[in-house]
Amino acid sequence: MEKKLSVSRIFNAPPEEVWRLWTEPELVRQWWGPDKFICPVAKMDFREGGVSLVSMKAPPEFGGKETYSIWHYTEIVPFHSIEFIMNLADQNGIKQDPVSLGMPSDFPTDIKTRVSFREMGEGKTEMTVTEYADFGQITAFAKMGLEQSLGKACSIFSPEKNTK
Amino acid sequence: METRRDVFQAIADPTRRAILALVAAQALTPGAIAEKFDSSRQTISKHIQILSECQLLSQKQHGREIYYYLNPRKIKAIADWAEQFRELWEGRFNYMEKVLNSLKK
Repeated sequence: MEKKLSVSRIFNAPPEEVWRLWTEPELVRQWWGPDKFICPVAKMDFREGGVSLVSMKAPPEFGGKETYSIWHYTEIVPFHSIEFIMNLADQNGIKQDPVSLGMPSDFPTDIKTRVSFREMGEGKTEMTVTEYADFGQITAFAKMGLEQSLGKACSIFSPEKNTK
Repeated sequence: METRRDVFQAIADPTRRAILALVAAQALTPGAIAEKFDSSRQTISKHIQILSECQLLSQKQHGREIYYYLNPRKIKAIADWAEQFRELWEGRFNYMEKVLNSLKK
């Protein structure tokens, strides 16, 4: 497995609190889904081997379509890390082929996701989300397989991104 | 072959990504690139050809030597693509911050 995409943020809360964002349905519902989307369903089965079902519903102006995802937990280390496999699903939590849901044929399946929590002291926590996929399969996801050095090169070439 | 020119196919190979990382630092001749790898010169030359075909690499004649360098425009197209994913998570992080703040109240 190769590293694909990693994003970090330091939160102004201790690990035990940041952890709850991933385990409590009413908290998951408040952050899952892009702008203006809502998350009507967050059925959490938070344990190794468990499968959570989350949905995001598009606003009416975007057709109001509801998309379900499942998170199948493969490893949970309390207040340290969570690993799960993400897939598109139907409303019953059954894994679906992306194409049958109107997604492009190279939409990634079996996205391994790792969330890690690092205690920073003074009640702060760094959370890192990393998404992985098999490089062998040429999926849309493989498109992001750039080594970090290359990423650095990109930022040099697009300085307007740095001024944000 | 059409697939050969697919930029994403091109970067799916670890050796080709390593080549891109090398020339990102400085323009290099095919010989200088090949020196950095255990693979045969012929193999590396094939990789360079694929990267050139999909315009990730550009070449410049300098005296008798050909130098390969990174094509920033093409790289940026890929970076923009990856940026969408980053922005998606940055957006979620923003919501998470709000949720954590509301827990404190």
